[in-house]
Amino acid sequence: MPLEAPLPPIRERVAELNRRYRHHSAAAVLEHALNDPLVGPVALVSSFGAESVVLLHLVSTIDRSLPVIFLDTEMLFPETLAYQRAVSERLGLGDVRVIRPDREALFARDPDALLYRSDPDACCALRKSEPLARALEGFDAWITGRKRFQGKARAALELFEDEGGRRIKINPLAHWSPRDVQDYIVNNRLPRHPLVGRGYPSIGCRVCTTPAGESEPPRAGRWRGSDKEECGIHFLGGRAVPGPAPKTVIVTDTGFASDDWTGPWLTPEALERAGRGAALDIGPETDLGQLAGHLEALAMIRVNFPAFSDGRGFTIARQLRRMGYRGRLRAGGHLIADQYAMARRSGFDEVEIAADLAERQPQEHWLARADWQQGDYQSRLREGF
Amino acid sequence: MSRRFTPKIVTANALEEGDVIFLTADDIWSRDHREAELIEDEARARLRLLHALSQPHVVGACLAEARMGENGPEPVRLRDAIRARGPSNYPHGKQEHGLHV
Amino acid sequence: MYEYDDFDADFVRARVARFRAQVERRLEGALTEEEFRPLRLLNGLYLQLHGYMLRVAIPYGTLNGRQMRQLAMIAERWDKGYGHFTTRQNVQFNWPRLSDVPDMLEALAEVGMHAIQTSGNTIRNVTADHFAGAAADEIEDPRPHAELLRQWSTDHPEFQFLPRKFKIAITGSPHDRAVTRANDIGLRMVRGPGGESGFEVSVGGGLGRTPVAGRVIRPFLPAADLLPYVEAIVSTYNMLGRRDNKYKARIKITLLEHGPEALTARIEERFAQLRREFRGTDRQMLARIRRQFAPPPFEEKPLAPYEAARAADPVFRAWTDTNLTPHRRADHAIVTVSLKAPGATPGDATSAQMRLLADLAGKYGHDELRISHEQNIILPHVHRADLPALHAALRGAGLATANIGLASDIIACPGMDYCALATARSIPVARGIAARIGELKLEHEIGPLKIRISGCINACGHHHVGHIGILGLDRAGVENYQITLGGDGTETFAIGKRAGPGFAHDEIVPAVERLLRAYLQLRRDRRETFIETFRRLGGAPFRAALYPSKDKADAA
Repeated sequence: MPLEAPLPPIRERVAELNRRYRHHSAAAVLEHALNDPLVGPVALVSSFGAESVVLLHLVSTIDRSLPVIFLDTEMLFPETLAYQRAVSERLGLGDVRVIRPDREALFARDPDALLYRSDPDACCALRKSEPLARALEGFDAWITGRKRFQGKARAALELFEDEGGRRIKINPLAHWSPRDVQDYIVNNRLPRHPLVGRGYPSIGCRVCTTPAGESEPPRAGRWRGSDKEECGIHFLGGRAVPGPAPKTVIVTDTGFASDDWTGPWLTPEALERAGRGAALDIGPETDLGQLAGHLEALAMIRVNFPAFSDGRGFTIARQLRRMGYRGRLRAGGHLIADQYAMARRSGFDEVEIAADLAERQPQEHWLARADWQQGDYQSRLREGF
Repeated sequence: MSRRFTPKIVTANALEEGDVIFLTADDIWSRDHREAELIEDEARARLRLLHALSQPHVVGACLAEARMGENGPEPVRLRDAIRARGPSNYPHGKQEHGLHV
Repeated sequence: MYEYDDFDADFVRARVARFRAQVERRLEGALTEEEFRPLRLLNGLYLQLHGYMLRVAIPYGTLNGRQMRQLAMIAERWDKGYGHFTTRQNVQFNWPRLSDVPDMLEALAEVGMHAIQTSGNTIRNVTADHFAGAAADEIEDPRPHAELLRQWSTDHPEFQFLPRKFKIAITGSPHDRAVTRANDIGLRMVRGPGGESGFEVSVGGGLGRTPVAGRVIRPFLPAADLLPYVEAIVSTYNMLGRRDNKYKARIKITLLEHGPEALTARIEERFAQLRREFRGTDRQMLARIRRQFAPPPFEEKPLAPYEAARAADPVFRAWTDTNLTPHRRADHAIVTVSLKAPGATPGDATSAQMRLLADLAGKYGHDELRISHEQNIILPHVHRADLPALHAALRGAGLATANIGLASDIIACPGMDYCALATARSIPVARGIAARIGELKLEHEIGPLKIRISGCINACGHHHVGHIGILGLDRAGVENYQITLGGDGTETFAIGKRAGPGFAHDEIVPAVERLLRAYLQLRRDRRETFIETFRRLGGAPFRAALYPSKDKADAA
């Protein structure tokens, strides 16, 4: 729809829109926003998460051809991907655009898919904020499902927002209560995200979402153990807020303990500047050759397993020991209790696991393999093992 | 691009016994293909599959093509017919219990 | 034969106890299917078309009577009274319940057997020449090395989560009966310059969707270096193998992508490091194992009963002509018992048959049995004087089919009747071909011929190395069978070439018949075998027989 005259600045339009539609229902806000001459081309951004179906349904009753942007961070639950397809079809959405992170950027900045551990904000920027910014180019406004009840940063949320003078953000559900959301889903017989029934009231990426307790706020499971509350796409320019990595549990032969390492984790690139007693974080792609000459000085090396089915870390541990590394060696990322003996036999001293895994596989599951020195064929076939 | 949706049933294996099972319209897992819910709508098929995937005592849930026969849904593809009947070299599987289609 | 020592026995029992706990945790929900799956696979438990399938290892294809009887008991008690012997010297039970599997594994442990690493992305059951320790043409019994490899690979902490499965085969004979070139690592025993024994090591062989012969990366590896060298190969592969695409994850693709020179250089470099870690303990273990593979106390007795029976009984004579292989002692024979009787499912044996074979092994064969990758059962050490009695006993149980190495001795995977991966049925095709050959009464006229049938591209039925290979595919929901010609799994290894368009289920048996009739017409004389005729003439005349031209078809 070509516009007759250039639109006034975003700030002025947002104020006017908020004034006009203050007392309107979500459906009315949406309908007007999609037709109001003060608003240019609009897209809906949806995570196809726990409550997304409400807004998607609202939009489908007004305009099924509205572009719907779905961000596949490539870290999502498979259930979310299946749900996205099911809901899109059920509602007859005609223009769902699946946006993925930039391949080269991924390769350069997160080749092992472990960035979320060391720097969750950088991970969000790479996998959400930047792809979204690209996807929104050419749009004057976008619709979000954010609600005031979702977190302290959102308590004063308005129906229309000025996003840094660049774009209008439309939050039709800003005033909705959790009850409103549930009622709407029930009354319209909308399909629920399959993970909701398994204790996930708020669903983001696989690696940063855990089920929330019943009495906890719904988003408590997102970035559990970190200060992080917003995922960056709702921040101006994806401003990063530094925060600690998600809380983890350290497993040794004596059971669970909290992490006693409070210092920073270095990447292999920073090795040259590392002093004695530093801790190094490596992934399966790390070239061990570049560590030669530094091993003596390191207090700890953490080898990250991108998935428990990816066994490269075991070979890396063996190789580090073979290269003469005698410091603390930790297996991080995704290992399960049944792999504890393999980790210890490969030369690891300890395993670091996520809090949710520690809940599902409690200490006794791990202690059952504290006998890893028993029945080890390698130790009877070779010396110095 | 889009192919016409053909009717489906949801099938899986029972976690403990391994038996081939079929999802009925009232959310019961039946050993009998003829009792399966025949799903005519693609979106519903996906939702029923999602439901099946979230069930604890079920493994390998998937959709299988089916068509309505005299006594209920019947398999379309040979592979599904073998699952619903049993192997062709011995009278084992469903055919052993008179459950086969 | 190798007997478990306390270490092996404790290990297997502890492993069963752990799996029992894992099954309990799975049933309680503490393990998700995603997490349980690799654990059950590491213990040989699959989820197949009709339910679970338990794959039990028969390391290097060797077992004794007690073990065979235990397999019979397991089949009867927890399954449907039979077992299926596979092309990788395993036995499969098709109908177990998840909750019974720990008990089945415990019953196996009682007789020194297990199902460890018969599946999953790890080093699988090491296969060997099924005539090892008995064959007349052998340099040395390869099984002590195979047992050493079994111990080394079992629960190896580094190699339980490889990019993909990893298969090792070993032979001690210049005649390759273990299809070594179709394995990730093939070990063929050779003599070194000083007469010492060692191995020619090939890497990156495999069938499946990218069939390729293993490439020799070490023409001679001293036997003493076996473990560090194999470990260097697997360790290098663990780091380099692709994990983003399971169809490109086998070491054969790693070899192609990195090039044989670069890969070999990395393996050799790692080998140099690893060699220091093996300083003799492994060789002491090998010596201990070797003592257990000492030949049995062979008996000296007159051959008269054998000669007499051969002269008097044409059925016996025909059986000895096909089902015997020369033993290292001329007065003994290696007996292959065919599991390919007319109408049988290739590789299946009932509990009663297993018990009978165990009894016969005890009576005539020093209590030893072998399973071949060709899905037959072998009594490796039978005195020729005992053959008439053995034959009579086998005949009474329907186990005296005289077809070893002939057209109806077909390898077939379970196919779509059982396998979740299959795209077409194999068993009915094998039975159909065998039945037709029976009707034609041409089997002995045709002579040596290897027909191999796979029900999908993964090639468990070794179709690529069949003289006639049949691959069952799914073409828009309908079974379709492609024929390959000229494959060979032995020391003259060759991958069969696809003959042309596929055939429908009801066309495949007539198509094979046309090939057989063409061979009979084309061969130079009765001594020229099918594969020799094929090599002499190439595929063209066989393709012409397979696809008669349009007007010919119309005229007929």
